[in-house]
Amino acid sequence: MSSIQSLAALIKPVGSLSPEMTISDVADQLLQPSHKAFLSLPVVNRQGRPLGLISRYRLQDIFMQRFGRDLWGKRSVTEAVNTESLVIALDTSLDEAARIVTAQLQYPITEDFILVDKHGCYQGLGTVLDLLKAMESRIDQRNQALSRALQELKNSQAHLIQSEKMASLGQMVAGVAHELNTPLGYVKNNVQLLRDLVQPLLELAAAQAQLSQCLQDPATPTDTVEAIFSRVQQATDQASPATFEEDFTPLLEDTLYGLEQIGELAVSLKDFARLDRAMSEDIDLNDCVRSALVIARNALKDKALVTTRLGELPLLTCTPSQINQVLLNILNNAAQAMTNSGQILIKSWADTRCAYLSIQDNGAGIPNDIQQRIFDPFFTTKAVGEGTGLGLAISYKIVQQHGGTIRFASEPGRGTRFVISLPLSQPSPLQRSA
Amino acid sequence: MNDNDAVRILFVDDEERILRSLALQFRRQYQVATETNPAKVMERLAGDTFDIIVSDQRMQQMTGSQLLSQIQHAHPDSLRILLTGYSDLDAAVDALNSGGIFRYLTKPWDQQDLANTLAQAAEIVRHRRRYLKRNPVAAPEPASLVEEKRIRLLLIDDDSETLQLSRDICARLGVGLQAVSSLDGAMARLNEDEIDILLSDIRLGDDDLRPLLMSLAQAHPQLLTVVVTPFQDTQLLLKLINQAQIFRYLPKPVRRGMLERAIKTAVTQVAESRRQPHAPSLRQAEAPRAEEEQSRVNNFMGMLGRLRQRLTA
Repeated sequence: MSSIQSLAALIKPVGSLSPEMTISDVADQLLQPSHKAFLSLPVVNRQGRPLGLISRYRLQDIFMQRFGRDLWGKRSVTEAVNTESLVIALDTSLDEAARIVTAQLQYPITEDFILVDKHGCYQGLGTVLDLLKAMESRIDQRNQALSRALQELKNSQAHLIQSEKMASLGQMVAGVAHELNTPLGYVKNNVQLLRDLVQPLLELAAAQAQLSQCLQDPATPTDTVEAIFSRVQQATDQASPATFEEDFTPLLEDTLYGLEQIGELAVSLKDFARLDRAMSEDIDLNDCVRSALVIARNALKDKALVTTRLGELPLLTCTPSQINQVLLNILNNAAQAMTNSGQILIKSWADTRCAYLSIQDNGAGIPNDIQQRIFDPFFTTKAVGEGTGLGLAISYKIVQQHGGTIRFASEPGRGTRFVISLPLSQPSPLQRSA
Repeated sequence: MNDNDAVRILFVDDEERILRSLALQFRRQYQVATETNPAKVMERLAGDTFDIIVSDQRMQQMTGSQLLSQIQHAHPDSLRILLTGYSDLDAAVDALNSGGIFRYLTKPWDQQDLANTLAQAAEIVRHRRRYLKRNPVAAPEPASLVEEKRIRLLLIDDDSETLQLSRDICARLGVGLQAVSSLDGAMARLNEDEIDILLSDIRLGDDDLRPLLMSLAQAHPQLLTVVVTPFQDTQLLLKLINQAQIFRYLPKPVRRGMLERAIKTAVTQVAESRRQPHAPSLRQAEAPRAEEEQSRVNNFMGMLGRLRQRLTA
């Protein structure tokens, strides 16, 4: 349904009454079937100017008087016309017309209103009912538009939250991919070195096998045995026991260590990658801290020295991937707040109700005038394109949805400390909108 | 220092396992030392000479490009190589422009590639040692004799802004500027004139100039190439460093100060090498690997015949 925008659409081109008519004539007019729908009829002079409306209600009053029709019937309509009737210009907006009509409306509603052109000449009638209907349909449409807008807003919010999630995920994946290159570098090189180092051993084994074979055969000529024996001796020289001690052991140990590092990164990546994972029970927050630190190592490495003082925590119910996201966000912010040789201290402890995490840095701190705004969506101190401004807003929401709190204290020039508390038991099922 | 002395290599990385692995790989060919703390490297270099320094980029105390820049300043004759797991454009630009690196290598490295690179660097070191042995005191020719010939810069670009800037800067520094905006024009100038400094984008209209830069690095290793380009890509820069031995890499739109500094440094270096015309160069590019690239480079090498003739004459 298209919305009615102007009064012109409501106009009823009703023929007007001339001021010369008598009240009886008017009564006859009002009885005409074509006029049935109107509460009143307009009286308009020769110049086209409306004098006012004469209503059924008014005539009813007149005719209900004793001898009313006889006394009044022959008189001019001008004596009964309501000269105070509402006259509205056609170019008035619907809202303005509605405002005028409702302001003047009296109970009972006895009249409609006169519509005139910009010169004040009569054009037709407008009925209150039509106006109300038009207004109602407009309100309907506005409601629809509003709820559409609300839906769009919700969608785009979900989209933004998703893109913040993807941004932090992407940043982290890139970091981890680079992080993998160090252990990959030496593991790969070590295995190649080991492959080369093993060659003399294989040669020794082959020579010894040959030797033992010909020693078992009494028919072997002595010079053959001697030749093979010298091959064994040569091979032994090449594969001296010192080689194993000096080279093999560290190479193998480093390789194993590197593979463990790679495995650890893979596990952390898995924990992080499934950001939508549902709530889990029995989560040790300290594990979240460790996992976030592995992932953030890339961002922190050349910025800060991280110290952890993790206390023993009871297991609690939470969505670990979300808590990881919060921790990664705070750690990344800390890294960005420091130029180099920074310090980050992470502590955890618990009381009977909550588990607590404190992340303290000695970075630039948060200027006093923006401390109130850091959890606001889209508030960012970074350059356009560098941050979504949603990191802390989402962190706040995540912690809130866990029934916890996130607070901070910051002193410009000295650093910032965030404290997150999470209840040990969840009172109600978590919503998973963030 | 003796030619027979082993070439000395210092590896710097904050992961000691990397150092152990590298030391084990190269201990037989070279005299290898390692250092986990980049902050201690300058001190070590003060008391001990190293010909080649291979450094990691991301370390706690300082970045590899910072370290290599300090080393370049104090020991310009060393060959500096960055070996990093992070492909980071800023680090690469820094390492080239202020660290004057010989190669940018990535982790995990290919054993054979690294061995080849170090062998190439070691050969440069030995070559230089032999030269120094023949010319014990590097006696520079008097400045008056060499400075008569004007230093010449060739600009290959069709960007009017770069042209205008280069004109201003060359006029101020007394450098002879030749400007061409076509590949043919560039080939003609390179074949006919003695060019000392090349200022070039990596694209000219539809032409890819990289094979030309790679060819020049092989045909004319003394030529100092300053690349000025809007393209910002780490892989591309790595290739330009390793295979075209470029001297500087500046992003477009280029800032006057940056370009002026780059040209000034190049001019100083050209003047210095003119005073020791027979000293072997520390610059040597890696051969391109892709077959198609190799054939394009060969093609250019053919077209640069006159230049090569002149240089070997």
